[in-house]
Amino acid sequence: MDDKRGRFEAQVLPHLDAAYRFARWLSRSASDAEDIVQDAVLRAFRGFETLRGSDAKAWLLTIVRNCHATANRQSALRALVPLPEEHDPHDGHAMIATTPDPEHASINRDDERTFARLLAALADEHREVLVLREVEELDYRQIAAVTNVPIGTVMSRLARARAALRARWHQQTEGAPRAVR
Amino acid sequence: MQCAESLRVQAYFDGEVDAISAAEIERHAERCPDCREQLHDLERIRAGLRESVAPESAPQELRTRIARVLDEEVRSEKLEAAAARPRPDSRPSRTGRPFWLGLLSGIGGSAVAAALALVMWLPAAPSPFLDELAAAHVRSLMPEHLIDVVSSDRHTVKPWFAGHTDVSPTVVDFAAQGYVLVGGRADYLDHQRAAVVVYKHGAHVINVFSWDAANRRLPGSTTRDGYRMLFWKVGDLGYCAVSDTGWDELSELARLLKSQ
Repeated sequence: MDDKRGRFEAQVLPHLDAAYRFARWLSRSASDAEDIVQDAVLRAFRGFETLRGSDAKAWLLTIVRNCHATANRQSALRALVPLPEEHDPHDGHAMIATTPDPEHASINRDDERTFARLLAALADEHREVLVLREVEELDYRQIAAVTNVPIGTVMSRLARARAALRARWHQQTEGAPRAVR
Repeated sequence: MQCAESLRVQAYFDGEVDAISAAEIERHAERCPDCREQLHDLERIRAGLRESVAPESAPQELRTRIARVLDEEVRSEKLEAAAARPRPDSRPSRTGRPFWLGLLSGIGGSAVAAALALVMWLPAAPSPFLDELAAAHVRSLMPEHLIDVVSSDRHTVKPWFAGHTDVSPTVVDFAAQGYVLVGGRADYLDHQRAAVVVYKHGAHVINVFSWDAANRRLPGSTTRDGYRMLFWKVGDLGYCAVSDTGWDELSELARLLKSQ
């Protein structure tokens, strides 16, 4: 039994940072992300036998994604009473800002953060696939496993997500859709 | 503005194509301004995202919480194992129930979705070989990847395999039964040069892989990444039909091929 704990810590917990980042991008909230990850890790531990030799990172992220979906459904049920903290419109941006006061950030830093801000504003499906590919650096097969769709769907979804991000970026930087630097 | 090759260019950018396709795509991009611009944009977006998304770590407080939760879980698993001890057969953990029953009863209704996710992961867990097959099928669906030798004539396809693969599979056109032979392809599978016979059934592409499977036990049928796979063996020659068409259609093609 302690051996199970040891193996779990060696195989799964190295991906805790990735799980937390993914949960933050999914939920757009730091406190929700912590609850989701705690829940996911416990479930991963209980189902650890199902991991066998397969990919621990993709496996853990799959569980995180399902825990987020479950939490989402539950909060939709509770949505009759608005929870101000959870619905703070700036919450999605909070994780991006690294300085407490964005006004003092240099213009350069501001430009860098543009991408994260644009990413935060994308549709859930697009944000998710871009985070898995560009931030967590999963390959198509892993993304297909995590999001539970065929690889072909991963490819087209990724293309649409990138097109959406590119369009917003062009709009923001140049005001014109075509200009590339 | 978008070239028909854009999905392949994306796959190239993401490192998902083999060396031969990569060289093809590079040659193509030299001539195609749209694809050059696409590659440039892909690069800019990746760099922008990686610069701006801070590589955040899980807070220490969360790690502490998780360690505590796992401590408790290990303790309760031990108690449960102790309670189950009277059984002479000394399986150490749980009580002989499938683990998912434990999951369901242990954490209540909200856990159903996650428990299901674990179960659904099961068939996808153990075999890199199946992943290889699914990936080969997906690769074949990219433009210009499906067929190396285009022919509906078995007498053209069959000898082509002799020079390009390690095996010589059954090649028959079943156009009359709705399975149109469209050609053949060589693919690398299970560390050998496998032969792939390509059929079209209605709008669906069916890849029939064949390779020397003397040392491999094959599953009867399985699903991978949403594609159905049906396996059979003729002597040492392993066959696998892969498609997004239905099971009935796959089984019928397998039956026709086996009857040859």
